[in-house]
Amino acid sequence: MTAVPEFLVTVPTRGDGRHPLRRDRGDWEERRALPAFVTDPRGGVSGPSAHIAQVGRAAEIAGLDGALVPFDPDGEESLVLAAGLLRGSRHLRVIAGFHAGIATPVYAAKLSASLQRFTGGRLDWQIDVALDPVVARAHGDFLQGGDRYARAEEFLTVAKGVWHEEGFTYEGVFYQVLAGGFQPPNAGLPFPRVHLGGIEPGALALSARHADVHLFDPGQNLDVGIAGLGDRAAAEGRAVACGLRLPVLAREDEEEAWRDARGLWALAGGADEDFPAPDPRTGLWPGFDRIAGPGALGLVGSYEGVAAGIRAYRDLGITTFVLSARPTVEEAYRLGERLLPLFATEFERETAHVH
Amino acid sequence: MSIDIYWRIGTHGDQPSLRRRVTSRGEWAPVVPGSLAPGVRHGRRDGYSYVEHMADVARASEVSGFVGGLLPSFPFTDDPWATAAALARETTTYRFMIAYQPGFLHPVQAARMSATLQRATGGRVVYNVISGGGGPAQLWWGDRVDHDDRYARTSEFLDVLKGVWNGGPFDYEGRFYRVEGAGLPEPLARQPFPEIYFSGSSKAAIEAAGRHADYYLSWLEPFPDLAAKFGQVREHSAALGTAPKFAVRVDVLARETEEAAWDEIRRGWEHVDPAALVSPDGDSVGWLRSQSFVSWPVRHHRELEVSPNVWGGFHLLRGGPAFGLVGSYAQVAERLDELIGLGVGAFILAGVPHLEEAYRVGEEVLPLLKGHDLRVASPFGAALSDSRA
Repeated sequence: MTAVPEFLVTVPTRGDGRHPLRRDRGDWEERRALPAFVTDPRGGVSGPSAHIAQVGRAAEIAGLDGALVPFDPDGEESLVLAAGLLRGSRHLRVIAGFHAGIATPVYAAKLSASLQRFTGGRLDWQIDVALDPVVARAHGDFLQGGDRYARAEEFLTVAKGVWHEEGFTYEGVFYQVLAGGFQPPNAGLPFPRVHLGGIEPGALALSARHADVHLFDPGQNLDVGIAGLGDRAAAEGRAVACGLRLPVLAREDEEEAWRDARGLWALAGGADEDFPAPDPRTGLWPGFDRIAGPGALGLVGSYEGVAAGIRAYRDLGITTFVLSARPTVEEAYRLGERLLPLFATEFERETAHVH
Repeated sequence: MSIDIYWRIGTHGDQPSLRRRVTSRGEWAPVVPGSLAPGVRHGRRDGYSYVEHMADVARASEVSGFVGGLLPSFPFTDDPWATAAALARETTTYRFMIAYQPGFLHPVQAARMSATLQRATGGRVVYNVISGGGGPAQLWWGDRVDHDDRYARTSEFLDVLKGVWNGGPFDYEGRFYRVEGAGLPEPLARQPFPEIYFSGSSKAAIEAAGRHADYYLSWLEPFPDLAAKFGQVREHSAALGTAPKFAVRVDVLARETEEAAWDEIRRGWEHVDPAALVSPDGDSVGWLRSQSFVSWPVRHHRELEVSPNVWGGFHLLRGGPAFGLVGSYAQVAERLDELIGLGVGAFILAGVPHLEEAYRVGEEVLPLLKGHDLRVASPFGAALSDSRA
C-alpha cells in the first residue's frame, strides 16, 4: 500500500527573489529603488516577516501540507520564523530546523509546547546533527564525530521525557534533569514530529530510534539508505517515514522548463557552454548547485515529467517531499495549481481501490 | 527624560479579578464553563488557545498608551520567545520585553532569535535577563549551576551575545561558553541591540548588573529600601564607570476612590488560605528580602500596607511578587511620581485581570503622572507645563 505523500515547501531564510542570486524580497538585500518621480508607498512597510508570511499563506492556499524552515547559519532564525508562519496559517505544518546546541532539551521542549498550544499542534522539528564543524564551533558547539549523535540521542530522550512524563529525572553525559516534566496545559500535547537526515550509519541508527521522518537528498544512495533505515527501525520496533528534499523546476512543457533552467543558469553566473545536462540515469539536474545551493540536485521538466520523477521516488518508499523553488510565492502557487493535482486524481483512484 | 511604561502580560493564564484565585483565562487551570480562549467549544477543539487572549492584552496595552509588555518565563508559563514571535505581527509599536534565564538557551541562538525578531518587528525586542530562581525549579529546567556562578554565567552569556551581534568573526573562551569564528549574518547584525533590563537583588546580581544593565530592575519595596538598593547599584556601577537607569515592577490596584480600591483587596483577602503564608523554595534573595518588610503573622489586610498605598500581599491574591500599589487613581499616580523622583526611569506595571486593568491604568492613572521635572511642591508647576505645551 502506498501512503498518501505529503508535499512541503522550503521557506527562504535569506530573502527571496525573482533571480537566483537576488535576495531583495524579504529585505535581505536592498530593494531596487523606483524612479524618484514614482510615488513609492513601500518604505519600511514590508519587512522580512511580511514576506515570510506571504510564503506561508501561498503554501497554505496552494494546498501544500507544510513548510520547512531550515537551520541556516547565514540566514534568519528558524524557530522565530516558524512561530510567525504557524500564527499566520490554519492548516500548515511547519518544520523548524535547529541543532541540539541551541538550548537545553527542556528549554527547546518548553518553547515548542507553547507553540503547539498556540497552533493546534502543527509544529515539527528537524534536527541537524552532523553540522559543518566550522559552523558548529561558531555556534559554540565543539563536539565532533559520534559524540554528536550521542548528544542528539540524549537531547531527544530528555525532550520526549519531560514532554510525556511528570517527575522525569535523567542523568546523562550531556544533560541532567531532576523531577522535570510538563503539567497541564503543556502536558498531553503531540510531541513535534521529528525529522532527521544523513546517510552515515550513526544517522540512520539515530533516526531508527527517534525520527518520525528521515529526510534524504537526491544525491544519496536511496536504495541502500531506505533499506538500512527500515531494517534498523524494525529492530527497534518502529517505522520511520522517508522524505526527500527536492528542488524542482516544473513548467507547461519540457521545452519551456529547459528554457527557464537556462535562464536561471545564466542569471546565476553560469556560461552557456557550461550548461550541465541532466544525469541520463536519474534525470537529476546538477545545475541546481548554482541556483538552490551547493550540491543540490533536482528535477526539471514538464509537470507530467516532474510528477513521473516523484512517482519513481514514491515507488522507492519516499512519502514526504520537501520541494524548493524560487521565487517561493509564485512557485508555491504553480506547484499547487499544476503539479499537485496530478497526484490528487491518482489518490482518489487509489483510495477508491482500497475501499 | 522619557519614562518607558510597560504592562506585564500574564503568560500563565489570568484571573477575572483579585477577588478569587481562579484562573479562567487560558487553559493553565482546568477549563471550566466560561473559560476564555480554552481551545474547546462544544467538546471539540476550536483552534483557539491562550495566545489569542495574550494578543488581546498586547493590543489593549498598545492602544492604552503602554510602550510594550513584559513576557515572564517560569516553568508554569508559556515561553516568552514563542509568545513574542506569535504576537510580533499583531501589534505595531508594542515592545516585547522577553524574560529569560541564561543557561537554558545558548547565547548564539539567543542572538539569532533576537535579531530575527528585531527584523520582524522593526526593533521592538527588549531583554529582561534573570539569573535568580534556583532550587527545584532550576533542576526542573535541567540546570544546576550555583547561585553566584549563575551571575558569572550571565556575564559571559551577555559578552558572547554582544560579541556575535557585531558580526564577528568573534572568538570567546570562558568558563561556560566557547565559540570560534562566531557572528550574525550581516542583515541580522545591523539590527539594534535590545535594551537590557537586569534583575536580581543579591550582591552578585548587583555587581553583574553594573557591567551589563541598561536598566536595573527591582520588585517594588518600601521606598526607603528601594532608594538604598538603588544607591548600592549606583555605587557598584560608578566603580565600573557605568550608570544604569532604574526600573520597578509594580502591581497596581487603582480605583476611582481609595475606599473602592481597598474594598477590592478586602474581598480577595476573605478567600486567602492561611496556609498560603509560606515562602516558596529557592535561593532568590529578592523574595526573602520582600518578605522581610512584613512582620508575620498578619491578621488584617491593611496590616500589609507598609507605607501609604504600598501593599505587600499581592502574592496572596495571585501568583507573583508581593508588593504593589493600592489606592485611588490619584494616589497611585502620586506614588509612581515619587518613584520617578527616586530615579526610576521605567516601570513594568501589572494588574489582574491584565486586559481590563491595562485599559483602566492606561486611561485613568497614566494621564495623571507629572514626571520628575514637575514633581515640585509649587502649585504652579503643572500650569507652567501646560502653558509650555
